[in-house]
Amino acid sequence: MVSRPAAPTPDSFTSRLRSPAVAARVGVWLGLSFGICFVTGLVSHYAQLPSHPIPFPTSPSSGYRLTQGLHVISGVAAIPLLLVKLWSVLPKLFEAVPLRDPRRLLLTVLERGSIALLVAASIFQLATGVLNAAQWYPWLTFSFRTTHYALAWVAIGALLVHIAVKLPITRDVLLADIDATTHDRASATAPGALSRRALVRTSFAAAGVAVLATAGSTVPWLRQVSLFATRTGEGPGGVPINKSARAAGVVESASAPDWRLEVVVGGVATSWSYDDLRAIPQHTVDLPIACVEGWSAQGTWSGVRVSDLLRAAGATAGADVDVTSLQQAGAFRRTVLPANFAGDDRTLLALDLAGEPLSLDHGFPCRLIAPNRPGVLQTKWVSRLEVSA
Amino acid sequence: MRTRAVLVALGAALMTYGAWLLLSRQDPGQWLEVGIWLGAGVVAHDAVISGVVIAVCLLGSRLVPPAWRAPAAIALVVWGALTIAAIPVLTRAGARADNPTLLDRPYLATWWAISAIVVVVVAVAGFVRSHRSRAGE
Repeated sequence: MVSRPAAPTPDSFTSRLRSPAVAARVGVWLGLSFGICFVTGLVSHYAQLPSHPIPFPTSPSSGYRLTQGLHVISGVAAIPLLLVKLWSVLPKLFEAVPLRDPRRLLLTVLERGSIALLVAASIFQLATGVLNAAQWYPWLTFSFRTTHYALAWVAIGALLVHIAVKLPITRDVLLADIDATTHDRASATAPGALSRRALVRTSFAAAGVAVLATAGSTVPWLRQVSLFATRTGEGPGGVPINKSARAAGVVESASAPDWRLEVVVGGVATSWSYDDLRAIPQHTVDLPIACVEGWSAQGTWSGVRVSDLLRAAGATAGADVDVTSLQQAGAFRRTVLPANFAGDDRTLLALDLAGEPLSLDHGFPCRLIAPNRPGVLQTKWVSRLEVSA
Repeated sequence: MRTRAVLVALGAALMTYGAWLLLSRQDPGQWLEVGIWLGAGVVAHDAVISGVVIAVCLLGSRLVPPAWRAPAAIALVVWGALTIAAIPVLTRAGARADNPTLLDRPYLATWWAISAIVVVVVAVAGFVRSHRSRAGE
C-alpha cells in the first residue's frame, strides 16, 4: 500500500477504500454518537452542579441511569467508528501545504488546525472516558471532570466546523453510489480486501460488538454477554460499590456505636441515634444507583424520608439541604440536595438495602438515595443534614 | 453557503468556550499535562496504530491468500477495535483490593479465548472460501 514509506504523500496510499465515500458513511454515525455523548454529557454535568437555575427533575427516577448509560454506550460505539474513519482519511495527513499562496495557506492552516484539534480532542475524550469507567487515572495533575467537560465543547465545536467545511463533498458522496469515484484521489484505485460497503458494515459491526462487550454494566440483560464490562453487577444487596469504606477512610467513624445524625435547621441541631431512625416510620423504594462511570444497578432501599426528618426539625418545605458525609476528604464529601429532591417522597436516608442493613461499603449507618440523581450525589455515611434557611 | 458560515461561526464559538473553560478552571501545570495528553493521543493513533495497521496490511497483501483476505480484514477491524476499547479493563490497572465489585471479570483470559475464536473463524472462513473459489474455477 505504501510505495515510498520514507516520505509518504497522499499518492502513496492506493487502496480505494480510503475514500470520501467510506469516510462520510462512517462519519455520519460517528457524528451521531458524538452528538449523543455531548448532550448526555451536558445533562450529567448539569445534574452534578451544586445549584440548578432550572430545577433538575426528580422524575423519571431512572432518567439519569438512561442518559449516563447512553453516554458511555455511545462513547464506546464511537471507538471503532473513529478508528475506521481516521483510517479512511489518513492520506490527507500527508497533503502538501500551499506555502506560496498566502490566502490558501491561511485557509489550509485554519482547516487543518481545526482537524488537528478535532482528532486530538476526540481521542482524548474517548480515551479518558473509558479510563474513567475503569477507574484508572494515569494522569497526574488535571481533573478528569473539568477537562472532559471543557474538551467536549472543543470537540463538538471542531466537529461543527468540520461538518461545515465538508458539507458539499459529504452530500455528494452520500447521494452517489458508494463505489462512485468522482471524489476519489487519483491514486486510490487498488481494490482492497473488502468492498467499500463491506468495510462500512464491518465498522458498524465492530461498534455493535464493542457495545455488547461492555454495556452489561448498565443493561442488566446484557450482563452475561458483556465480558469486558467494568462490573458484573454483583455486590452486597445486588448493588456494586464505587468507593469502599476503607478507601473513604470511614471504617472507624461509620461503625462507632456513638454515631449520631445531626439535622440542623436555622442553626438549631437535632440529633438522632441509629435506633431513633429505626423507630420512626420506615419507607421502601425501588431506585437505581447510576454512576457517572456508566454502571448502574437497581436496589430496594428502606429507611426514613428526608422530608420527615426535616419536618421534625422544624424546616419548612422548599429549601436546599446540605448533606455531609463522614468522609474527611473528596469532592463529594459535602453535597447539596436541591429542594425538589429533598421534598420528594422517594428521597430516603436509607438504612437497609434488599431487606438487610446497609453494608459498611454501601454507606452504613445511613446513606442518601433519591430518584434521578448521579451516583456521586447519593451520599454515603451521612452524618449531617443542614438547612441554612 | 449561509448554513456553512453559521456552522463555522457556531463551531468556533463552542471551541472558544471550551478553551476558556479549560484555561480558566485549571492551572498552567494542568494545561501542560492536558496538552501532553492531547498530543500523545494523536501520536498514539497517527504513528503507532496507523503504522501497525499499515504494516499488517502490507504483510497481509503479500502473505495472505486472496480468499482469506476478506475474513482476515473483517477480523482485524472488529477484534482490533474491541481490543483497543478494552485496554483499561485488560490491564485492570484501576482494580482495588478493597473493592471486589470493580473489574470483577477474568478479562485477559476472555481476551485470549476471543482471540483464539477469531483465529479459528478466520481459518474456517478462509478455507471454505478458497475451496469454493477453486470449485468454481
